[in-house]
Amino acid sequence: MKVQRLSQIAPSIRLTRNRHIAEFWRIFQDPLLFVGLVLVVLFVGITIIAPIVAMVQESRTEQGQELFENYLGSPVYRTIIQNTMEMGLLVAAAGTALGFLLAYVQVKVDVPFKRLMHIIALVPVIAPPFAVATATLLLFGRNGMISRGIFGVRYDIYGLDGLTLVLTLSYFTVAYMNLRGMMMALDPALDEAATNLGASRWRIFRSVTVPMLIPGIAGSFLLLFVEAIADLGNPLVMGGNYEVLSTRIYVSIVGLYNTTAAAVLSVILLVPSLLVFVVQRYWISRTSVVSVTGKPSGTPHMHRHPLIRWPLFAVAMFVTLFVIMIYGTIFAGSFTKILNVNNELTLEHFDFVINGYGSEAMKDTTQLSIIATPIAGVLGMLIAFLVARKKFLGRNALDFATMLGIAVPGTILGIGYLLVFNEPSEITLPLIGTVTVLPKLTGGRALLGGAAAIVLVYIVRSVPAALRSGVAALSQIDPSLEEASISLGEDNFGTFRRVTLPLIRPAFLSGLIYAFARSMTTISAIIFLTTPRTKIMTQQILNEVENGRYGNAFAYCVILILIVLVAIGILAVAVGTSSGAEKTMEGGA
Amino acid sequence: MNGNQAGTLVLEDVSKIFPQREGQGEVRAVDRVSLTIPPGEFLTLLGPSGCGKTTTLRLISGFEMPSSGRILLDDKDISHRPPNKRDMAMVFQSYALFPHMTVFNNVAYGLRAHHVSRGEIRQRVERVLDLMGLKGLGERRPHEMSGGQQQRVALARSLVVEPRVLLFDEPLSNLDAKLRVQMRSEIRNLQRRLHITSVYVTHDQVEAMALSDRIVVMNEGQIEQMGAPEEIYRRPISRFVADFIGRANFLPATVCAVEGEQIAIDLLGQRTTATASFTPRLGDSVAVVLRPEGLQLRPDPDLPQVTVEQAMYLGTSIEYFVRLGDERLIVVETDPRTERIFHEGQSLGLTFIPETAHILPAG
Repeated sequence: MKVQRLSQIAPSIRLTRNRHIAEFWRIFQDPLLFVGLVLVVLFVGITIIAPIVAMVQESRTEQGQELFENYLGSPVYRTIIQNTMEMGLLVAAAGTALGFLLAYVQVKVDVPFKRLMHIIALVPVIAPPFAVATATLLLFGRNGMISRGIFGVRYDIYGLDGLTLVLTLSYFTVAYMNLRGMMMALDPALDEAATNLGASRWRIFRSVTVPMLIPGIAGSFLLLFVEAIADLGNPLVMGGNYEVLSTRIYVSIVGLYNTTAAAVLSVILLVPSLLVFVVQRYWISRTSVVSVTGKPSGTPHMHRHPLIRWPLFAVAMFVTLFVIMIYGTIFAGSFTKILNVNNELTLEHFDFVINGYGSEAMKDTTQLSIIATPIAGVLGMLIAFLVARKKFLGRNALDFATMLGIAVPGTILGIGYLLVFNEPSEITLPLIGTVTVLPKLTGGRALLGGAAAIVLVYIVRSVPAALRSGVAALSQIDPSLEEASISLGEDNFGTFRRVTLPLIRPAFLSGLIYAFARSMTTISAIIFLTTPRTKIMTQQILNEVENGRYGNAFAYCVILILIVLVAIGILAVAVGTSSGAEKTMEGGA
Repeated sequence: MNGNQAGTLVLEDVSKIFPQREGQGEVRAVDRVSLTIPPGEFLTLLGPSGCGKTTTLRLISGFEMPSSGRILLDDKDISHRPPNKRDMAMVFQSYALFPHMTVFNNVAYGLRAHHVSRGEIRQRVERVLDLMGLKGLGERRPHEMSGGQQQRVALARSLVVEPRVLLFDEPLSNLDAKLRVQMRSEIRNLQRRLHITSVYVTHDQVEAMALSDRIVVMNEGQIEQMGAPEEIYRRPISRFVADFIGRANFLPATVCAVEGEQIAIDLLGQRTTATASFTPRLGDSVAVVLRPEGLQLRPDPDLPQVTVEQAMYLGTSIEYFVRLGDERLIVVETDPRTERIFHEGQSLGLTFIPETAHILPAG
């Protein structure tokens, strides 16, 4: 019998080769699916891949090569690269530690004010850039309200120390969310088993909790590193003489109009970013031993020992109050003439933003974000559905390419847009003549004053998060639900509409919220794309900060935060927060 | 309620090849399977995990496409027809009830997909809920019901669309033992009454025997044996089948006469005749399958002696593990009149019921 089976393998090899093709063609049998796939691939190709490729190509021109050698040989640039890495590592370490601490206190320690700590830890997600940096300057700078006012020192906050503080406060939420999710997914039975075997609390922490969280810790570290080296707003305000790659890229474009130099520097910045992204994607995610999808089999045991509880509480509360103080400063600054100099209450900054010169930016930014949000949300769910549920050639490539939208530093994407969309793309067809496929999207006389390009960037930067939350939601939903629907006679589209979409509604909602918040607060990716006709709030905030008009900047920040909060409320009501899916996963089977 | 169709399902030389994960090789999940299932038959695909039974079911349902071969429903080739156009309905292991819909909407789901009128939907759903003993529960959500009720809803949802073929993918494996037995007999009654062609996948041989008109035992993607439950239990064609269906002892023997169907062998010091799954020749060494209930222990010094290694009183029977030379055998005493229980370490004579012996090739 065995011999016979071996002899059958030969013809089957031919079958396999055809099978790949057959599966690829199967997607054509479903026209809706096919159209969806084509649209998605076109979108990702044009808005993500093309700009990155153009940017890399620009750096490889003769001139670019020359600059490249110059830069790597020059001590100035070597210092800049070194600075960037140093800052990235420091922020990654500090942010991960802070995120871990807050997550641990939240999940594993019995302390008061947990809800407050949680909300405060999430605030940085909706905070506009520059807000934290500017407030920190006011509090701890040379004439800082705390450094000078309370301690009487003229502290120079500009540079690495200030940057690390500000970036850590801006990005620790990433680590917090990541680690909190993992800690909650840790099966309490593991703790119980370890206790049962005679392990002390400290031993459990060392030998069970931390090792299980290593992938989460490593993942957070890498994400923070990338965020830190990609950040532009904070180094612009806080950097002082401490230059990093992103600020140098900004100066190359805005000050020197040298796109090639910017492209070359971008490639240098792109290498570590992409490397980290690939490591994160293919190594960390594989080594994870915590199944985040698994349902914990009990409630976690809380630390109640006073020697553990109160010191941890003190540290966590200090961080919370610190963050509150920062945002309090922003708030106070928006209502006073010049905070710390002339503390007279005033509404003139709000008048400037709402009625005056600033109102244009407020309207434009909100409008463009409103346009981008639903597109990003739907696109994210669609790609998630294709990637998680359908078999087709290039499925992983599509996922990867979509994720590049956020993995690539914003400045790099912006330069890519300048390179690709500064001229209209035209093709010449016989008989018909020249046809414009894509009009000019950036620079002077761009389509809609550059608004189209900005919306595209908003979408590209938001889709990855929607994609991930969609994929996570889909992986929690038993595929047999969709199979049941199909087996009962419903087609693919009907199944998506009647079964899949209602079940991933919470993911859709969080995708929308993220997209809106991200669009409203993004700066690095659009800073090169704004034109006099299209004003963007974050860009205006930078102007105000650079000109020392902190009051206006703070008023912008307060209004921006309010707009985001209102939008979150509206979205939650419109989309609905629960789907009933979570109930099944518990009650089902 | 299933008045519209016959439901003859035919698999012709069907194979399914999957690429191996992380590698260049491939797996023949289903290997040239041919089957004909007449209308109204309850057929079970039985085998250990990885034997290809679930893949076969998914090929029939259309969630997988065969690499080669054809699948026919009432003489029409449906091999490449999408699953929503096959006129079959599947009952899933996880029930796959839509959590965001009420029981009524779950059951009505397929009818809405087929654009049945509102009034008729209400009528048909009410009728099938009634049939399944779910009257009055239409407004509940799936998670508000017990496992048994959820499974009934899943069954109702499949029955209401009046499919030509019902497919079951291990539908009872999430239920506890008692409920499983109860649902088993409900499914059996219902299927007999409605006379719907049914294909059922399980790895539980008791479930397979209880439900099926015919069992297909699969191994490594191929059909090992096909037949009525009693045929497969009493006349297995291989050691694999004998081992998988119930429990079996294998004892070596020598063929001492062949007369047509009747084969004479020497076994445990007795000459006896037995059936065989193949045609042995005189003098061949063969293996004899003896079910645990076909063996008997007696305090008789003239019989071959065994030692009791373990004795377990189970109420309906007494199980013994005994040692005969190098072999460990299992003996089940089922006679309810038996009062004596042999104890561990005791030496006893071993004999067998001749009618239960069945011959397989040695090795």
